[in-house]
Amino acid sequence: MTTTSNIYTFRRRSVFALSLASLVSGYCFLWPFFLDAHSSAHHLNNQIFSVVAVPIALGILIVEISNQRLDAKSVALLGVLAALTAALRPMGAGAVGIEPMWFILILSARVFGPAFGFILGILAMFVSAFITGGFGPWLPYQMFAAGWVGLGAGLLPQRLGRIAIRGKTEIFILAIYGIFAAMTFGLLMDLQFWPWALGSHTQISYIPGASIAMNAHRFIIYHFASSMAWDVPRAFVTSTLTVITAPAVLFAMRRTKRRASFLSPIEFTASKEALIERAKEQREV
Amino acid sequence: MIVFSGVSLIYPTSTKTIFEDLSFSISEGELVLVIGATGSGKSSLLRLMNGLVPHHTGGILAGDIIVNGISTREVKPGGLAHLVGIVGQNPLTGFVTDIVEEELAFGMETLNLPPDVMRKRVEEVLDLLSLADLRGRSIATLSGGEQQRVAIGSALVMHPKILVLDEPTSALDPIAAEEVLSIIHRLVHDLSLTVIISEHKLERVIQFADRIIHIKGDAQTQIGTPQEVLRTSDIAPPIIELGRVLNLPDISLSVRDMRRMTESIRKELKPVPSVSTPLPATRMPDVVAVESVSLSYGASPALREVSLTIQAGEIVAVMGRNGAGKSSLLRSIAGILKADRGHITVCGGNPLDLRGNERTKTIGFIPQEPSDLLYGQSVLAECQAADKDNRIANGETFALLEKLVPGISESTHPRDLSEGQRLALALAVVLSAKPQVLILDEPTRGLDYSAKGSLIATLKDSAEAGCTVLIATHDVELVAELTTRTVFIADGDIVADGTTIDVLLSSPAFAPQVAKIMSPAPWLTVKDVVAAIETPR
Repeated sequence: MTTTSNIYTFRRRSVFALSLASLVSGYCFLWPFFLDAHSSAHHLNNQIFSVVAVPIALGILIVEISNQRLDAKSVALLGVLAALTAALRPMGAGAVGIEPMWFILILSARVFGPAFGFILGILAMFVSAFITGGFGPWLPYQMFAAGWVGLGAGLLPQRLGRIAIRGKTEIFILAIYGIFAAMTFGLLMDLQFWPWALGSHTQISYIPGASIAMNAHRFIIYHFASSMAWDVPRAFVTSTLTVITAPAVLFAMRRTKRRASFLSPIEFTASKEALIERAKEQREV
Repeated sequence: MIVFSGVSLIYPTSTKTIFEDLSFSISEGELVLVIGATGSGKSSLLRLMNGLVPHHTGGILAGDIIVNGISTREVKPGGLAHLVGIVGQNPLTGFVTDIVEEELAFGMETLNLPPDVMRKRVEEVLDLLSLADLRGRSIATLSGGEQQRVAIGSALVMHPKILVLDEPTSALDPIAAEEVLSIIHRLVHDLSLTVIISEHKLERVIQFADRIIHIKGDAQTQIGTPQEVLRTSDIAPPIIELGRVLNLPDISLSVRDMRRMTESIRKELKPVPSVSTPLPATRMPDVVAVESVSLSYGASPALREVSLTIQAGEIVAVMGRNGAGKSSLLRSIAGILKADRGHITVCGGNPLDLRGNERTKTIGFIPQEPSDLLYGQSVLAECQAADKDNRIANGETFALLEKLVPGISESTHPRDLSEGQRLALALAVVLSAKPQVLILDEPTRGLDYSAKGSLIATLKDSAEAGCTVLIATHDVELVAELTTRTVFIADGDIVADGTTIDVLLSSPAFAPQVAKIMSPAPWLTVKDVVAAIETPR
């Protein structure tokens, strides 16, 4: 039995590729704590990230698009949502951390699944860089972090035991996740920016080659200072927008998913009688 | 060219088969018209021809569909793209680019044709569809008819052997529709293109059709020449209905043939002195008063010194070509637009001052796109909101809707309804407030005959209950059946204002089909003719 194509999902091979890429990029986020003393190779490490992890991430996308039968419906959905998310990002430009894009990413990932959420996050960040002129060494980090936010939102449980999580409970969970995601994104961005942020002379600067504990201590202070200014407003905006828009947006997206008839069976039978028989069986399933 | 053998279709979630054992073949250069009530499966039939059904939508298919030697079982829609061009109802939703030329080239880009071939074909299509003057224009600035021509052009550049059009003129005014249909007619005759077209307004297309496929619902279909199918079909334009009530031996599709056939009948049926009802002699109170109103958008005037009074209970049609000022007039009466000069009084007050409940109880306005009024997530939610807003008993609006169009499912999303059902829902919501003035802006686009019939009945009922109805439309048949008075607007001026019968009969081009056939007798509709026959002399 064949069906119409599925919405974008990961196959086993892509899960492997994604894990590998995430591992590499995870290392690159955390390199200040791993780098052994007296090494001045951190620039090299950073370049490794840009050179290796980004092509791998984009590789996943290209491999998936060309190998998996990602059909017109999924591409259209992905394109529209990525454009929308990207366009919403600079709406709060100038204000600290107010990027009204995360709620759309979280809600889309909730409806269309983790793989879709991951690709959407990566794509949206990439596209928004075109709009904001935000190309730079930070872009790959942002793309990965946004991908993870989408992935995480897609992995939130759909049901508790036998009861589907819908309505107020769902919105509550998504709002909490919105806070968590906004904070995590801030943490990750601080991690990649911190080594360069302040020069080497302040009390909270990164000290190349210092002990992990010392650097971690300094980072926590730095992160606390910056998160007050950036992450808290971001978390507030994200969770508020999630709560306000979720009923309408989730409804519209679920309707889109239904109307696009993903995984709807396509069958060919020999005669009318066989068709009526098959239709009856289908309904019973 | 297209062979259906024993085709049956059912959608996986439905219990109703759409087609059962449907067999027919369409040969090259035929123009086949698909008719049927809304929701009967016209679109499914058209989409079977390029494999979108079932490959894109899901579904269980029995039998075989062979398109130019290729079975749609084995080939995906993409594999038929070079053979079958498809044009949808609303061209704007299908456009990808902004500029006419680019749009024409886009399909060929995806087929990976060499640039010199693309260039040549773009030029060819620009000439074929008389689009050369528009080549550099932005698509958004084109009129509806021009847009539809671009949509047809972008299907034709791929050199398809088959062109499938799903209600290509339903969103167009009569002049634009004429423009599109005459081009389709030419394509069939000059290029021997095979064309399959679905359409509601039969009076526009039947004279072009070689054959008709009539989808009757209940999975039954009838295929035959227009004469064969229309002899018995329940969907019939006024010209056919007239033939039926006059018991003519043969069915004819054009006014010219009908006039020849009815020559003796017309002589016999001496026109009754006047079947027209003059404007009511007893003066009802004026409900709407427009006093020398002018309105302009930037430098271009939309209304010039227009004056008009309308009495309670009148049904007034506002006619005129696109851009004549119909919508501007209705919108200023509804209090949506502010006139530059002049006064408008509705029920004794300025419509601009109306707010909230007072507004919904005074003026009901249904815009060209009825879904602009609908924002609920289901039909039921929409109706309940209306009940609450108007402080009427729960379920009253839905009952009203049931009366208009029976059988709408409560849980359907308003945007998933058909055009007719959506209009009915908007109408039910607006009427539930029992407004004193009801204003409709082009309500009949995309409506089939039965939906139009129930619209007419509803509006007549509300008028009898004292509601004043103002309706802007291009549809002369609707005007003839429904309205008592017609106002004709051209270039921002009222050029004619009088009883519908006088206004419509005074210009042959605007007369409804029945009037053209029976002229000079003053009958506008089949009903008028029946009444005249039955009147004892």
